[in-house]
Amino acid sequence: MSKILILGAGISGHVAASHLRRKLSKEHEVVVVSPNSNYQWIPSNIWVGIGRMKSKEILFPLAPLYKKKGIGYKQAKAISFFPEGDKNQPKPYVLSEYVAGDKKGQQEKITYDYLINATGPKLNFEATEGLIPGENRTYSVCTYSHADHAWHGLKALIDEMKTGKKVKILIGTGHGSSTCQGAAFEYILNVEQELRRHKVREMAEITWISNEHKLGDFGMDGMLLSYGSMTLKSYEMVEMIFEDRGIKWILGAGVNKIEDGIAHYENLEGSYKTETYDFAMLIPAFSGHGFKAFDKNENDITEKLFKGFMIVDADYTPKPYEEWSVKDWPETYQNPTYQNIFAPGIAFAPPHAISKPRKSKNGTVISPAPPRTGMPSGITAKLVADNIIDTIKSGKESLSHKGSLGNMGAACIASAGYGLTQGSGVSITTYPIVPDYEKYPNTQGRKLGKTFGEIGLAGHWLKLALHYAFIYKAKMRPFWWLIPE
Amino acid sequence: MTQRISKYQRFKMMNPIIQFFKFIYLSLKIMFVVASGHGGTRVEKK
Ligand SMILES: Cc1cc2nc3c(=O)[nH]c(=O)nc-3n(C[C@H](O)[C@H](O)[C@H](O)COP(=O)(O)OP(=O)(O)OC[C@H]3O[C@@H](n4cnc5c(N)ncnc54)[C@H](O)[C@@H]3O)c2cc1C
Repeated sequence: MSKILILGAGISGHVAASHLRRKLSKEHEVVVVSPNSNYQWIPSNIWVGIGRMKSKEILFPLAPLYKKKGIGYKQAKAISFFPEGDKNQPKPYVLSEYVAGDKKGQQEKITYDYLINATGPKLNFEATEGLIPGENRTYSVCTYSHADHAWHGLKALIDEMKTGKKVKILIGTGHGSSTCQGAAFEYILNVEQELRRHKVREMAEITWISNEHKLGDFGMDGMLLSYGSMTLKSYEMVEMIFEDRGIKWILGAGVNKIEDGIAHYENLEGSYKTETYDFAMLIPAFSGHGFKAFDKNENDITEKLFKGFMIVDADYTPKPYEEWSVKDWPETYQNPTYQNIFAPGIAFAPPHAISKPRKSKNGTVISPAPPRTGMPSGITAKLVADNIIDTIKSGKESLSHKGSLGNMGAACIASAGYGLTQGSGVSITTYPIVPDYEKYPNTQGRKLGKTFGEIGLAGHWLKLALHYAFIYKAKMRPFWWLIPE
Repeated sequence: MTQRISKYQRFKMMNPIIQFFKFIYLSLKIMFVVASGHGGTRVEKK
């Protein structure tokens, strides 16, 4: 019998746990360790942040589901990794600490035969001085509790606007190397639409601030896409939307400090500037969790497992942008030193960015880190689970399931406003996620027919349909596995 | 504010009947992108 330990119950951890449990017989143990007792469908946080959904609609408690399905669950957080065990424990284990219940504060060595690290990112607010969700009039929508806070802040602002106050709203990235521009893009369009719904739009100046050098970069080097009968660059599409909605923009901005109502930033020209605001939603930098790893003699071997995020089968040789290749990206998410350890979703260390790296004239890095959205997080988690299942069943290592971001498509349905008849969405699909300039040299590394954009009400319905479908799937309701990642 | 999306385009974007068909079309097109699979990049096809 084998024991598979999964750290994290976000999109990738939960997908891996559910597929492992479905396909492995009960003699094998599947255990999930995660500090948050709830599963949350993060993409719908945008709607929590504008008060159109309650946070309880996007989450459910994990413990009852895992109990029913025969998945072990510990509400704890991983602290350090012992992939060879130690002097007293011959099996590999993860030292974890309980965060709730009777065992709160207690540490446990949780052993495993296979380990899936699906701990996603650390939301590194500390990297930007003063960027604290709910303080200095800045908010976040990265978790459901942050999104709840954001809605309270926005609601109070709307009330003030109704009494005649003119305000400034700033939305975008809160650090020179933030990622997840897509989430901020959705939020700015949703906020703009809500202000119109509340009939206070003319009272607000709305500004997009971002570390992208061009609109529509999204940390993916932008894209060339089919839009109706035209071929557009993503910056042209986003520019059209922003101009049409009266949204201003500041680009190439590395926000480095927040004071109450003032965002300090440096731009690519090397100038230091400020932007004032009454309400801001700024995505922080994402980083690894700072885990440590030790061998059986308790020597520090962190550099064998982590490079910020977890080291997997990528080519991490430092190279200039011109030499980056789609082949640098991992295919199986297996750690090269310890072959029973895997890291799907956001937890793996990318070989490099996707967008061309840029520095300000003062040498500050101001360019987006590579985004890893929900769909690739789910797909990579499933392929890791499938490889472990094949290995267990065949008794020898099997890595036949592969999924490089350079050979995988992604759909991103960005909400542009909520409402069954008034809503809107920007539907974008990209293939491949990481541009393959060898295969598609004339279309910016992507296949045109599979890289397309659409704007309209259907996009909102699609995003809403995905919300219900993915929560159904996550709850492991009948035939959940027929819904693709 | 600069009107970049014409009234006719906006009508098409927000008309529930047109958008219903667009919804079906987009769902299929997205399924096609997703279902067309994924794989490695390193092994050269023979
Ligand atoms: C506001 C917002 C909107 C988004 N919208 C979209 C969208 O529309 N479409 C899309 O495709 N993607 C979207 N994304 C991105 C998507 O949410 C991520 O790609 C996805 O959540 C990544 O999954 P993950 O499992 O790797 O990480 P996460 O979902 O972050 O999960 C990490 C898990 O690890 C747990 N954990 C953390 N620390 C520890 C520890 N020490 N020990 C054990 N467990 C730990 C956490 O509690 C969590 O359960 C959005 C992201 C944000 C923030």
